[in-house]
Amino acid sequence: MEQVIANGLYLGAQYALIALGLTLIFALMNVLNFAHGQMYVLGGFVTYTIYGQLGLPFVLALACSALTLAIVGALVEKFLFRPVIKRSAREESTMLLAAAIAFLMDAIILILFGEKQRGVPKIINGVFVSDSLVMPYDRILVGVIAIAMIASFMAYMQYSRTGRAMRALAQDRVAAQLMGVNVDRYSMIGFALGALLAGVVGGLLVTITGVNSGIGGPISIKAFLMVMIGGAGVVGGAIAGGFILGMMESVGLNVLREFGDVTYLVIFVLLMVFLSLRPNGLMGKPWG
Amino acid sequence: MTNATKLLLAAACVLFLLVGVPALIAATGRNDLYYTLTSVALLSIISGGVWLTFYIGRINIGQGAFALLGGYVSAVLVTAYGISFWLTLPVAGLVCALASVLIGLPILRLRGVYFAMVTLTLTEVMRLLALAVPITNGAKGIVSIPLPGGVSLFGLTLIPDFATLENPRLAFYLASVVLMVLCFGALYRLVHSRIGHICLSLQQNEELASSIGVNIASIRVLAYAISSFLGGLGGAMFAAISQSIYPSSFTVADSVNFMLNCFLGGLHYVLGPILGTFALYFGWDLLFQTGVYQLLIFSSALIVLMLVLPNGLLSLRLPRKKGA
Amino acid sequence: MDYILEVSNLTKRYGGLIANSGISFGVKEHEILSVIGPNGAGKSTLFKQIASFVTPTEGEVRFRGERISGLSPHKVARLGVVRTFQETTIFKTMSVRDNIIIAHQLRARTGLAGFFFGTRTAREDEAAFARSADEIIDFLGLGHQRHEIASNLPHGHLRALGIAIGLATNPAVLLLDEPFAGMNHDETRRAVEIVRAVRARGVTILLVEHDMPAVMNISDRIVVLNFGQKIAEGTPKEIQENQNVIDAYLGVEDESIGM
Repeated sequence: MEQVIANGLYLGAQYALIALGLTLIFALMNVLNFAHGQMYVLGGFVTYTIYGQLGLPFVLALACSALTLAIVGALVEKFLFRPVIKRSAREESTMLLAAAIAFLMDAIILILFGEKQRGVPKIINGVFVSDSLVMPYDRILVGVIAIAMIASFMAYMQYSRTGRAMRALAQDRVAAQLMGVNVDRYSMIGFALGALLAGVVGGLLVTITGVNSGIGGPISIKAFLMVMIGGAGVVGGAIAGGFILGMMESVGLNVLREFGDVTYLVIFVLLMVFLSLRPNGLMGKPWG
Repeated sequence: MTNATKLLLAAACVLFLLVGVPALIAATGRNDLYYTLTSVALLSIISGGVWLTFYIGRINIGQGAFALLGGYVSAVLVTAYGISFWLTLPVAGLVCALASVLIGLPILRLRGVYFAMVTLTLTEVMRLLALAVPITNGAKGIVSIPLPGGVSLFGLTLIPDFATLENPRLAFYLASVVLMVLCFGALYRLVHSRIGHICLSLQQNEELASSIGVNIASIRVLAYAISSFLGGLGGAMFAAISQSIYPSSFTVADSVNFMLNCFLGGLHYVLGPILGTFALYFGWDLLFQTGVYQLLIFSSALIVLMLVLPNGLLSLRLPRKKGA
Repeated sequence: MDYILEVSNLTKRYGGLIANSGISFGVKEHEILSVIGPNGAGKSTLFKQIASFVTPTEGEVRFRGERISGLSPHKVARLGVVRTFQETTIFKTMSVRDNIIIAHQLRARTGLAGFFFGTRTAREDEAAFARSADEIIDFLGLGHQRHEIASNLPHGHLRALGIAIGLATNPAVLLLDEPFAGMNHDETRRAVEIVRAVRARGVTILLVEHDMPAVMNISDRIVVLNFGQKIAEGTPKEIQENQNVIDAYLGVEDESIGM
């Protein structure tokens, strides 16, 4: 039992971090970032190259993952989303643009890193063992880093000037603009921050599960799931969604182990039922 | 254009597709084009369904689920029960329509991004179902599905047995084009009748639509059922042509592509999905020689297209004024 | 007294917030009844409950003695209680005429299949709807804009289009949501005439409004809300002299009363 909960927490922390990035971008720009999973994969490959291939310190590698993705996110917002949002007549356009960007990133990652599954040396060795719990130290460390990242992200959104501006923007774009918030600038920062979070999780998880170029899409779908559970565009919802999905996966893989992928089938069906009862997720705002 | 000239033009197009294209292919010897064109026809049908959900104001990224379901329904009926393919075709469509009613009743209440996200996960659900359910044979899929048999009525052969034909590709091409013409004919009629106007009213404002007495819940489900019917039809035909179906035959990427097809063709025109599918499929095919760079060039082209024409290919044409 | 529309003990709570509390009144056939009140008095919640877009927490709305609370909006519309919206709620990309034609849906005598196959009844319906739409367009003075795309219409005409859409459903009771909001003096005068003309067609009118002079001018009777409760009911003259009403308005916004 403790084992299942510990696994759930560890997974949930990673997931929450992914969902936070996605929900931030959605809240600020009303864009569903299909390329979120690909950003995660790119983050994983950057850490793989710097830490796994070049043998430089892991912390440096993780910082590089974060920086790379922040830059990618900023560029994507400035040169792709911004012009399309300004000129398109319908909200579908941004969704298609996001899909095209996801394809593009898939292609670039495939060309640069190939299609093999890649792993890196463990960041720390050893396993924590007690009566009811077996947990490798590296998982504990990764889990702790993820939780620390979530906490600092929330503090940043709550207390920093930039964070406050972004919250104002998320609440009401027009009003924020009238109040003198530089909408373009904070949209770009928000997008960069969202991408950065995806990249960091990629860098963290490559040390445990490795990375391959094909998992971008499935990661995006998981991120959508979490956001739907918690409610789109709400920070608390993303965190709740991440931990709930992490727990469900952990429990499901434990209980339904012999049935393989049935865990996800069950999760999806539960989600449908849940959404028909609460269309806006746990904490989402109603539409209209 | 008057209705008569429109009808004449449509008839000419159909004639060209059924007679002209095969003649051209025979003259050039490019038999491989049959497969490409058949695929375009079938993918257009599937995308046509997505287009209809766009028309009621829902972004549908789950059509792959119904294409997969349709393919499996037909494949299972043909292989396990020996039912004629031509009978399984409408059955596949109806099963999909029924499934979409059950799924649609709760999820069609969602709007915008929420609906899009749920439909996106639908494709994944269907893939996992195909892997889990015993009758679908798991990841190995259903293979060596026999070619469609013949249909005869009172001794008159309406459709010949495909296995006896010397060029089954041509037969599949013709069958698919006929199916496409029928589906889009019906879709055209639907959209240009009062039903289309009601769908459009839903797209523009559901509250107002319900205030004038439109039962928005049932119209939404109806449109979604028709959409899924088309998805199932296309999927079933695809399974017959490739004589196989796997859980990965229609994936999330395919669902995204169906949406792209509609969008590229323009969301205001019923025939948009055909144009969009044609452009995307041929674009993708032409890039085949570029090998590893295929996806790179393709996606870059899409992005550039979105930047230049954020409202779709047909947005080049100015919206015409409606009215008598 | 027989009422065509009867609101009894209507209460709506959102969590701890009480938007409407025990509101009761009746609307007589062919009258123009206005609901007024300062901002936040609960007018629009009341309005949505009458049109059944919102289900009351307690109490009910009856139309010709039949409970309509809890029915879905399209069913209520079918019975004959139809609401209009504030101006941006129209079918934006359709022409004015198409907006009105589509709003005739309730009068269709054939199902969707009939329209798909273009049966005789369907074609007759279409022709009848078009004729009726043209009649409504002329009635409301929208003739010049007949083929204009709805989103291009100026302000005042948008409001008229909203009423036209409502009329097309052939309602017994038409609920108007702030029909004079944001209008200048001339526009208001014209709108008041339109509302009177609509009533002259035999439609009972319940309107929710902010603009006091227009309401005083047009209404047969007035219901005043404040803080979610009914504080007065009566003829315009009675309302003008009612101390509760004067206090409510003076306490909240001095100039809006306009008297």
